[in-house]
Amino acid sequence: MEPTVEIQGGVVAGDAPNDPSRHTRHGDHVDTIESVDRVFLRQRRLSFSFGAVFFAVTLLIPAFTVWWPWWWSVKIWGGFTANYLFVSLLYFVFLWVMAWTYAARADKLDSELGWINAEQAQELEIEQIRATAAELEGETI
Amino acid sequence: MNTTAIVLVAALVAITISLSIFSQRFTRTTSDFYLAGRKVGSFTNASAISGDYLSAASFLGVAGAVYASGLDGVWYAAGFAGGFMVVVLFIASALRRFGEYTVADFSFGRFRTSRIRLITVLAVLMVSLFYMAPQMYGAGATWKILVGKGFFPANEAGLFLGVDPAYLSGVTVVAVIMMFYVAVGGMKGTTLNQVIQFWWLWLAMFILVAFAVGGGFNYASNLRTASDGQLLEVKTLTIEQATTPNPATGKTPLEVAKASMKPESLAAVQETIDAGDATVKVSLLIPAANKLHETKQVFNQPGHRYNAFDQFSMVLALVLGTAGLPHILNRYYTNPSGKAARRSTFWVLILIGTFYIMAPLVGLFGRLEIFTRYFEGTAPTNATYVDGYLAKSDALMPTLAQILGGQGLLGIVAAGAFAAMFSTIGGLLIASASAVGHDVYEKYINPNASQRRRVWVGKISVICFSLLAWFLGWWIAYAGLANVYPALIAMMVTWAFAIGASTFVPMLLTGIWWKGTTERGAVTGMIIGLLGSVGIIVLNVLQQTEVIGKTGVVGFFGALTFPVLVTFPLALIATIVVSKIDGKVPDNIDSIWMRIHGTASERHEKQLGLDKIGSLLGTKKS
Repeated sequence: MEPTVEIQGGVVAGDAPNDPSRHTRHGDHVDTIESVDRVFLRQRRLSFSFGAVFFAVTLLIPAFTVWWPWWWSVKIWGGFTANYLFVSLLYFVFLWVMAWTYAARADKLDSELGWINAEQAQELEIEQIRATAAELEGETI
Repeated sequence: MNTTAIVLVAALVAITISLSIFSQRFTRTTSDFYLAGRKVGSFTNASAISGDYLSAASFLGVAGAVYASGLDGVWYAAGFAGGFMVVVLFIASALRRFGEYTVADFSFGRFRTSRIRLITVLAVLMVSLFYMAPQMYGAGATWKILVGKGFFPANEAGLFLGVDPAYLSGVTVVAVIMMFYVAVGGMKGTTLNQVIQFWWLWLAMFILVAFAVGGGFNYASNLRTASDGQLLEVKTLTIEQATTPNPATGKTPLEVAKASMKPESLAAVQETIDAGDATVKVSLLIPAANKLHETKQVFNQPGHRYNAFDQFSMVLALVLGTAGLPHILNRYYTNPSGKAARRSTFWVLILIGTFYIMAPLVGLFGRLEIFTRYFEGTAPTNATYVDGYLAKSDALMPTLAQILGGQGLLGIVAAGAFAAMFSTIGGLLIASASAVGHDVYEKYINPNASQRRRVWVGKISVICFSLLAWFLGWWIAYAGLANVYPALIAMMVTWAFAIGASTFVPMLLTGIWWKGTTERGAVTGMIIGLLGSVGIIVLNVLQQTEVIGKTGVVGFFGALTFPVLVTFPLALIATIVVSKIDGKVPDNIDSIWMRIHGTASERHEKQLGLDKIGSLLGTKKS
């Protein structure tokens, strides 16, 4: 009998004929470590690319504040310097656009993981049927 | 005593208690008590997270900081909001998918040892207490302004237990209310209350902005007016300090103030000096020095608060610290899915972003309006001024509210200040109680406890932490910390951010995004982050109280107002280096990885319709 692994909430992993630590099953839905790893790498690239842009912009503000006199001293609109305008208004717009774009892309990657795993769930089921058929064949012989 | 304000605060308290009693009927399990049954929708959760996040420091402090410092004060607003980008990019969905109760659960589940769980619990308690202390201090101080009277008997020196009875009454009232509302309502009650409290705060700020715009506010031209000439600041000094020459310039603060103060105000100061008590304090209006550039300090330019080093370290402390606040991170478990966790954070950015856009606007408007009203003779008389400028910038919000909308608007703002404290303290009590009740009691002391007993232990923990919060509120006043740090609330909140950023963020970032992170690596990083940040804070306190000097290595570290720039990279590097050397990742790392980054569970729940929200209250207790 194949060993089973309790993952969470009483859901059982590893009831398929292959390595139990390589996939998790929740009802009809399966994640395999290969598919999770594949999507994880893209997710990590996405998060760290956005993170790099976020930290670059966020740290450029104090950098300009320290080393670029035009940024903090020249009035560009009424009493607004570029520094004041960015920190008090534009920075928030930057955050909203980044957060929305990131969330949309990350959600899309999650969906891709679902599609990949739907195909793999089918493959696992075919493997199970084949294994059962082989067992039955053995009994008949 | 302000009757309208007290009636509105009482109404807020009544709503809070009613909601707690109402939601108690729906709290049956520990999941209900600590996580509101994981059924909180994105927008509701975003409102609750925002309420949890916006403390008295945000509500009263940000506008006050802009009023006093101009651009350097605006940085608080931007930094507080920016922190949620780190949460959405690196932490939100992974933490939710892990599907537990607390940050300590994550560290245990990811690294599989009790050692890391207990270190995480210790760090959660440290951050929570550092965050809770200034909230309690704010409660006492606000009560003193609002009510002005206490119910404790005063001794001959006018004190009770060594502190002002009115102050201690405020601390006691808030501690008792919080104890009741969190213990009775649990996370469901706290969530409902935080939603209402956030919207109260947001609307209070919005009404101030609406009054300002209705009164002819024009952002660009008002900013130009405020930036016309050198920034003036009010400094409250002892007579000894006011009459001691600065070694660099050879001038005393009193001599400097002569150029900017009205003759009659100076005469009043001189009269106090002539009375002969060197320990008496006087308020002087003096031109602000620029710590960053060799130019005069102007409202719309940087340099009033931060030198070059602090410009970077302050923003890093705020941006990274948000992702290290346990009461905020715990809220992510209440989302129904990882996708909902991301959406929640996006909405948080919208909600607090709009709040933080409004706060600096109010600060700027207040600087001009209060000055004008002072010389018209129509400024409120219950605030202290020096030639048209508020002696304490934290008084900006209530003073401006009185000017713009009379006692009614003052009541709304005062109730908003209490709402900010209630919502934040509520979140901190839940985080502290879950650290002890869930992470220690349920896991080590009595793992077989029934759901009823677990909830009961959670409630006892809330009561204990409420008493501890009361003690902290009393101790801050008793020890006179406010005299050492004039902006004590903002300072202590920043310390909590620094400890969270240095302790949790390296562990979370590496634990979520790098399979090679080992338990030893994570533990080393957490210990370095925790000890490093707490150590530097202690050195800073010792330096401010003149126990240690300002020279040498100890003097350098003691001078770091925001330790994050040193402690965060140190903790992160230590985690990575020790993990590389150690190389012992958990045997079941693939299972852990599928749990953090997989979506099978969510797809399954979606298929069964279990991801549906709108059932925050769930079912009644049978």
